[in-house]
Amino acid sequence: MSVYVYSIVASTHPRKLDDLHGVGDPPSTLRTVKSKELSAVVSDAPEELRPKRRDLAAHQAVQERLMADGTVLPLQFGFTTADDEAVLAVLKERVEEFSERLAALEGCVEYHLKAAQEEDAMLRQILQESDEARALNEQIRSGTGGPDLPLALGEMVSREVQARQDRLAAQVLDGLQGFAREDRTSQPTGNDFLSVSFLVERDNEKSFVGAEQDLAKELGEDFDLRLLGPLPAYSFV
Amino acid sequence: MTVVPQGGGPVATGGGGGSGNLYDILDLILDRGLVIDVFVRVSLVGIEILKIDARIVVASVDTYLRFAEACNRLDLEEGRKAPSQLTDLVGEVTEGGSHGKAKGALSGAAEAVSDALKGGDDEEREESHKEPAGRRERPARRPARRRKE
Repeated sequence: MSVYVYSIVASTHPRKLDDLHGVGDPPSTLRTVKSKELSAVVSDAPEELRPKRRDLAAHQAVQERLMADGTVLPLQFGFTTADDEAVLAVLKERVEEFSERLAALEGCVEYHLKAAQEEDAMLRQILQESDEARALNEQIRSGTGGPDLPLALGEMVSREVQARQDRLAAQVLDGLQGFAREDRTSQPTGNDFLSVSFLVERDNEKSFVGAEQDLAKELGEDFDLRLLGPLPAYSFV
Repeated sequence: MTVVPQGGGPVATGGGGGSGNLYDILDLILDRGLVIDVFVRVSLVGIEILKIDARIVVASVDTYLRFAEACNRLDLEEGRKAPSQLTDLVGEVTEGGSHGKAKGALSGAAEAVSDALKGGDDEEREESHKEPAGRRERPARRPARRRKE
């Protein structure tokens, strides 16, 4: 039976996983594979592992539990290998690489921020500030314009949306980068204009969270800032 | 995992992989994290409930039309009424903070609306007649915005 691998920690890590379970249905039992310097948290891999909510949550729960007692290298979801020996071989082979990452991330956590602006509020602002857009909009409403007008208005507005979102993203990043050691942006999804992870030192956590809250206040009600953390440093391993 | 509420201190969601906000960190769990190349990754086909929405593509005809429609049905007057309602809300939840910003935008709204009302029809017509022509000279197909990963 193959083995599912969750995380790598130093062998000195206490790994208090008592009541937690692994991926699969019925839930698998967690165990540890140890080399001299490192430990990997693993379980038997279910026959057919699919990324279901329960499994993703189990994977995440292991990381959270481990990070409470020390630094953790969280694996990406879904990695399996043949058996415990294969895990041990990797721990031994890559001991330097993993130890170095663990040392680099010591005392740090990840915070993930997603930000969106309420669409109507943004459109209203654009119409208020652009005479051209407002005029076009009025003309379409009054039914006096040609059939091309909606497309023209839409293009103008969407260009403006893009520009504003880029500025907002830069503004948010700029306001928080000073409190983080590193940051990593990714493609925002849905209505979000920003999706970014920060690597924050535990000692700086309060200031970072405070800065984010100030920023949220400053931006106001039309904005939806979702800050998640502290998380294991998924983005910085 | 913890969601940091925008009004106060961090509140734990109960550890244990509380899935309440699993959605917001799905991209981290699935796309970030340590990758060990000699291991095998399970197929991620069929992500059950947790499908990730693609970002709205801003530069497309569909989006243009949707934006135009949204603008058409937007009640600019609402901006005029909003300040008093908003002030109450904001006052309760935060304090100060967003007042300046919200008011600024909203009184801006009121100004814009009254400008629009005052500004003679003629002037506006002229402007908007010019606009479509100008638009047509521009290439209609803008390359889709390239995204940084």
